[in-house]
Amino acid sequence: MSAALFVVDNLTVTLPTSSGPVDVVKNVSFTVDRDETVGIVGESGSGKSMTALAVLGLLPRGARTSGSVKLDGAELLGRSDRELRSVRGNAISMVFQDPLSSLNPYYTVGLQISEMYRTHRGGSRTAARKVAIEALERVHIPDAARRVDHYPHQFSGGMRQRVMIAMALCCSPSLLIADEPTTALDVTVQAQILELLAELQATTGAGLMFITHDLAVISSIARRVLVMRSGDPVEYGTAEQVFSDPRHEYTRMLLDAVPRIDDEVAS
Amino acid sequence: MTLLEVKSVTKEFVTRGEGAMARKSAFTAVDDVSFEVELGETLAIVGESGSGKSTTARIAARLLEPTTGSVVFDGQDVTKARGKDLAAFRNNVQVVFQDPFSSLNPRYTVERIVTAPLTYQGITPKGGRRAFTQELMERVGLNPDHCRRYPAQFSGGQAQRIGIARALAVNPKLVICDEAVSALDVSIQAQVLELLMRLQRESGFSYVFIAHDLAVVRQISQRVAVMSRGRIVESGSRDQVFGDPQDEYTKTLLAAVPRINPEWDARRRQKEAG
Repeated sequence: MSAALFVVDNLTVTLPTSSGPVDVVKNVSFTVDRDETVGIVGESGSGKSMTALAVLGLLPRGARTSGSVKLDGAELLGRSDRELRSVRGNAISMVFQDPLSSLNPYYTVGLQISEMYRTHRGGSRTAARKVAIEALERVHIPDAARRVDHYPHQFSGGMRQRVMIAMALCCSPSLLIADEPTTALDVTVQAQILELLAELQATTGAGLMFITHDLAVISSIARRVLVMRSGDPVEYGTAEQVFSDPRHEYTRMLLDAVPRIDDEVAS
Repeated sequence: MTLLEVKSVTKEFVTRGEGAMARKSAFTAVDDVSFEVELGETLAIVGESGSGKSTTARIAARLLEPTTGSVVFDGQDVTKARGKDLAAFRNNVQVVFQDPFSSLNPRYTVERIVTAPLTYQGITPKGGRRAFTQELMERVGLNPDHCRRYPAQFSGGQAQRIGIARALAVNPKLVICDEAVSALDVSIQAQVLELLMRLQRESGFSYVFIAHDLAVVRQISQRVAVMSRGRIVESGSRDQVFGDPQDEYTKTLLAAVPRINPEWDARRRQKEAG
């Protein structure tokens, strides 16, 4: 049996601040297997997004990292920007919370997907355009052959997030990092995007690292869960264990704070 | 006693179409919406983005004038109220907004922010501003020693408490909360919801609670109106709307809410209970 697809071991991220260096991620370890979804959950300031940025070498200037981040056995920490550029969007892709600020408003979505594809895979414009249309079809955007020539503003929020996912998957990454991908969406649209992510994962076999503040979302999508708080890994286990038998007081407090829709409530 | 009546309110916004030869066209954000709020109760208006729920809240708060229809408060038609009448209305109806940092003046101290509603009406509180502010801060769970601090010196949850304290400064009969807890972390959200409910028990005012989060709405409201595309598609008691929804859209909305795996959740609670 080969090692896990993605192994984060003892990752620490230190940011310089006016009052000295601060560890925003402290000794975090977790693994993501092929075909597996791992959820990272925490409140604001927990370090969950910093963990994702560290993986991709996208940390703010002056940040220091220690520990190890391995994809398919190859170390990613400390690699040059040039080397990482061939990893980002290729072997590891990322989907962010706000698709409107991650897409360029001046270019059609087709051009943006093609550009991404050609950067990593090369080939002609015509071939890349075909890839873009197929990518849009895969995320169930109706009338993809026509929509490929539309601009980001011509899509609704949910459709834009589908475009982002199409772009993230066009190079068949082995790991997809989704950072609050449904947080800005309406609840009905959120349900559709979660379903789409699960479906795409089943067909591509990619590992999924899903970052969110929403415990209910994590419970529905992740097999394993890492709970973070102010940079510290609080609890790490299977979703079933974390939700049914949390070991840590903070996890319990967090679970108790979630308003339930199906509970009996006093009138 | 009926405190607020919103009667057949419609709001159209004029938009410019695309292109050089574009014509103006009207977009109906709120379409023939009516509801009532009783004294002491919480009515939640729930809907997705673009449903018209915030526009409805703004009309009820007299921050927007409806195109047609009327707003009646305490038996008085306030739809076109001006001057003294409007000031009297503002004394009774206050708003808490979603983002505390953009609704609190960053250059004012808490004391100045909280007493502003009184200042505008030329009232000096009995016992002075300082004591008045400190008492309100204590009521909303803030340290009264921090009354000379600025909004930026508080966390999001604390800043929202300042917004709530300001709303309570005039002893209103109705507080309109427009997504007042949606920007907060879940643990903070639970505390602020608890605070809102406690304040209502203490003072007996009403809430119109605008939110997109159905689970939150279920916690705080007695009655619920569901909005979609500018219209109220369903309204009724909380248990009716959540327990036995009639409208298709309400059903879709309820089904889409993500839930913590109920089996795991039950197991945890059982363990913790005993």
